[in-house]
Amino acid sequence: MILLILLLIPFISGLAVAFFKGTQAARTFAVASAILNLVITIFVLVNPVSEGYSAEWIGFMNIQFNLATDGISLVMILLTNLLFPFVILAGWGRSQRNVPMLNSLILLTQAALNGVFMAQNAFLFYVFWELALIPVYFILLVWGGDDRKSITLRFFIYTLAGSLFLLFGIIYLYQLTPGSHTTDFSAFNQLQIPEQTQTWLFWILFVAFAIKMPVFPFHTWQPPTYKMASTQGAMILAGVMTKMGIYGALRFLFPIVPLGVQFWQPVVIILGLIGVIYASVIAFKHTNLKTMIAYSSMAHISLMAAAMFVANEYAVKGLLFQVMSHGITIAALFYLACLVKEKTGSTEFHQLGGLKNKAPIFAILFLIAVLGSIALPLTAGFVGEFLMIAGLFQQSFWYALFGGLTMILGAIYMLYAYQRVMLGGQKPVFEKVTDLNRLDYIILIPLLVLIIGLGVFPQPVFDMIKIAGSALTMAH
Amino acid sequence: MNLALLVPLLPLLGFLITGLGYKKLKHNQAGIIASMLVALSFIVSVTLFFILKSSGKDSATVTLFNWINIGSLNIPFAFLIDHLSLTMMMIVTGIGTLIHIYSIGYMHGDERVNSFFAQMNLFTFSMLLLVMGSNYLVLFIGWEGVGLCSYLLIGFWYKNPAYNYAARKAFIMNRIGDLGFILGILLLFFTFKSVTFSEVFQQAGALQTGSTTITLITLLLLVGALGKSAQIPLYTWLPDAMAGPTPVSALIHAATMVTAGIYMIARSSILYNLAPVTLEVIVVIGLATAIFAAIIGLKQNDIKKVLAYSTVSQLGYMFLALGLGAYSTAVFHVTTHAFFKALLFLGAGSVIHAMGGEQDIRKMGGLKSKLPVTYLTFLAATLAISGIPPFSGFFSKDMILSKAFEQNPMLYALALGGALITCFYMFRLLYLVFFGENRTANVHPHESPKVMTVPLMILAVLSTLGGFLNIPALLGGKLGFSSYLDSAVTSKSGEEMNHTTEMGLIALSLVLLAIVIYWAYNTFVKKAEVPAGDEVQLPAFQKAVANKFYVDELYRAVFEKPLASLSVFLFKKVESLILDPAVNNIGRGTAVLGALTRKLQRGNISFYLFAMVAGILLFIVFILII
Repeated sequence: MILLILLLIPFISGLAVAFFKGTQAARTFAVASAILNLVITIFVLVNPVSEGYSAEWIGFMNIQFNLATDGISLVMILLTNLLFPFVILAGWGRSQRNVPMLNSLILLTQAALNGVFMAQNAFLFYVFWELALIPVYFILLVWGGDDRKSITLRFFIYTLAGSLFLLFGIIYLYQLTPGSHTTDFSAFNQLQIPEQTQTWLFWILFVAFAIKMPVFPFHTWQPPTYKMASTQGAMILAGVMTKMGIYGALRFLFPIVPLGVQFWQPVVIILGLIGVIYASVIAFKHTNLKTMIAYSSMAHISLMAAAMFVANEYAVKGLLFQVMSHGITIAALFYLACLVKEKTGSTEFHQLGGLKNKAPIFAILFLIAVLGSIALPLTAGFVGEFLMIAGLFQQSFWYALFGGLTMILGAIYMLYAYQRVMLGGQKPVFEKVTDLNRLDYIILIPLLVLIIGLGVFPQPVFDMIKIAGSALTMAH
Repeated sequence: MNLALLVPLLPLLGFLITGLGYKKLKHNQAGIIASMLVALSFIVSVTLFFILKSSGKDSATVTLFNWINIGSLNIPFAFLIDHLSLTMMMIVTGIGTLIHIYSIGYMHGDERVNSFFAQMNLFTFSMLLLVMGSNYLVLFIGWEGVGLCSYLLIGFWYKNPAYNYAARKAFIMNRIGDLGFILGILLLFFTFKSVTFSEVFQQAGALQTGSTTITLITLLLLVGALGKSAQIPLYTWLPDAMAGPTPVSALIHAATMVTAGIYMIARSSILYNLAPVTLEVIVVIGLATAIFAAIIGLKQNDIKKVLAYSTVSQLGYMFLALGLGAYSTAVFHVTTHAFFKALLFLGAGSVIHAMGGEQDIRKMGGLKSKLPVTYLTFLAATLAISGIPPFSGFFSKDMILSKAFEQNPMLYALALGGALITCFYMFRLLYLVFFGENRTANVHPHESPKVMTVPLMILAVLSTLGGFLNIPALLGGKLGFSSYLDSAVTSKSGEEMNHTTEMGLIALSLVLLAIVIYWAYNTFVKKAEVPAGDEVQLPAFQKAVANKFYVDELYRAVFEKPLASLSVFLFKKVESLILDPAVNNIGRGTAVLGALTRKLQRGNISFYLFAMVAGILLFIVFILII
């Protein structure tokens, strides 16, 4: 029942907030809702619920509305419900169009994401998966930046095309199930699909997730979308929605088509490693802060994709830890990038520089986020990255070496970006730049404290995902 | 033993106080707080030294909490207190305290002095984690931590793009080493199922000497050490690191950071003893670095650059000692070097301070009388680094040289050659700065305040007498320092050298040193030669030396430029011309397909009927065939 509540709070408050008249009232209500959901999420973590929620839904197809959680989904749900209060807060005090509608869409996205991470059958998963896309589409389309129409359309069609493959896969699996057919994951997991079928079914299922993550070369929708997206849009996309891809891949591929995974394992790992190097190299001399962060995100996600397919204990635990760490870090980075834009009117590197002169605290917090991103020890990034590289190492020294290049390349592009934004002499045009205000502190300090806190005390997350390990190493 | 927690916590506290209160702290408050906390940390370290001594044990482990524990991988956040870590702790906090106190005077009046002390404290904290960690991963926290702090402090004056570049260069070069290091740790973990020192070393005995695994582990760890301790080929960041305020150079070059690689290898002595191939690699790299950097030092005209190359060179000697299996000798040289190199840099700071920011030794001269304290202390350090008895450097360097002789007289000859070059460029520096006439008008050099000169004097005493910590048997000593370390590091025991030979070698080197010093005196004092200005064309070889053999230019052409071009190429060509259009073309393809199928929808009923019938027929044919 409590899982249903997690789903319903953002859903109902999302619908309700659309009818609000006042801007501030809508924002306050939305934040309150998101914080309540976070509190309940933490309650669920502290007192794990063994039974899920189940109700009759589409009787004739034998599809139920059933929700449950395990270690993997708990990480995802925690990340989602942790970030959304900050996502909503990021809109405070800023002039935005139609605030009640915007907050309504954000909360509906949150509801759909919670649904994705709790659904226990593939059909329900798919419904939530698509449902999440719709509010995000409007958030991007209405509240996005330059060129939003064409970029949003491309984003939408791209991800929708991927989803269609997934739908086909789900229907295919549905008709494979014995008896009166079902789309329950538990039934899918028990299917003994011939290896030949698994090798092609793998890609049918994987494409949607590969696009969402994204894995090289399915990534081209991402940098322009992140660049154009509003701060809140970018925080949702990069912080949480990329994790949908990871979650989906973990849920569908490893238990259902393990032989397909085994067959394609080296290919996906190598694609992942190519992605790490490709995105990192592009990020180095990139000319725009926001797209640079997008490429850095892609580099990190690519490493996560590689680690996922190595699928040993270290890699999977590192991956799940990195889900938390990456989500928090990238959300902080996008918020910081938005502050840069607000203070200077640009995110083009050649127009930036020397912000530290007038905004030293801004620079320090920016640097902490950068250090989290380059996985300095005692930040959350290090724990995840170290374990993933350990996982890669167990499989092959070369995987670890190429994956480990992220340590060097990450430092190269991130510190260069930091220098181009923050360091250098005072530019006359930035004479009036001010340092952070209280709202910025409220958003950034908790996120940065989490980045360091999880780096020093990572153990609670591992305790949370203990259950997950066994379900995943099936591919071996 | 839980007292040990205070050692890193005090500087961390200092970092938090000075960091968070940086807007509130006035005048010298930050400096005083930061210095006091490091000093307290030193006092605690000394206390621990005596506690451990009286406890009769060789080591103690203090565990804070389980850092990462995922079943098969268990990494506690724990500290190991033994003779090696105590030695390093006392060096780091002891020298660190003096540098902090000196900085109060040196940084006085800088608008960001509070940030400066916060970062210095963080540096000390990181270095303490590094030397105190009881396993390779806690060591790695400190390892990367000092990398970060060097980045921050080298780029302290962030308005200057060249300094920012130097800072990034330091961090990235370190990271290159760190990748090797982390891979080494992983191989170590998968071999021994642990990263804790005591457990790893216990099991290491089971490995065969010279096996591939142990060779690979030690080589990978060595890559990390090359980056951190600025050895060929990863040394170019260290000379550029002088971009930071001078006390930072003292901290990086003497007490912290660069000694990390030597510490790590000494700590892993049991592993390295099993890998003779790696040891040979270390000998070659160490010796090459020692001589190469010394040669470059001959032609540098920036007071801090000369010292920077001398550090690279001295680190080469420490590596030579490590490679010879004389780990405790290497740590001994770390110690004496910490004394005299901190003194040299702080002395250089005092000179720069007095010269109003001038760093070019061609524009100095005659400072002997103006800065008497700085001169005398600088002289002590110069004698120490040149290896003149009874100054501290003599003892440590002589031990390295005699170990080299035991191994191979050729090694000895090369190492001695490097030592003679060292002696020459150091006396060149001394003479050019302090002797002769002042070559810049309009400056009125004045001695630095007490807060700066007192640390110089203390360091001068240490540089002079530090060698007596480890008196060799030849001089009737018992090698106290080395034998203290014996419980923590396992040095390879060579054959005892015959005392007559040893005496002969010492005599030989002393004669040669005297000749070199006279030669330098003759050139720079008697003939009062001043190195040519930058505009003068030098002969080819000299020019190459003055330009540091163009290694920076080489790295820029081979690594940096191609990476930048690749970055632009991948984005402008691959991403924008291949991958992105590919998606658009798929989109355009569907549009074309749509346009084609649209022609079928022409609203002609007879066409629809025709299509229907044709379809049914095809369907029947299809079924019949199958």
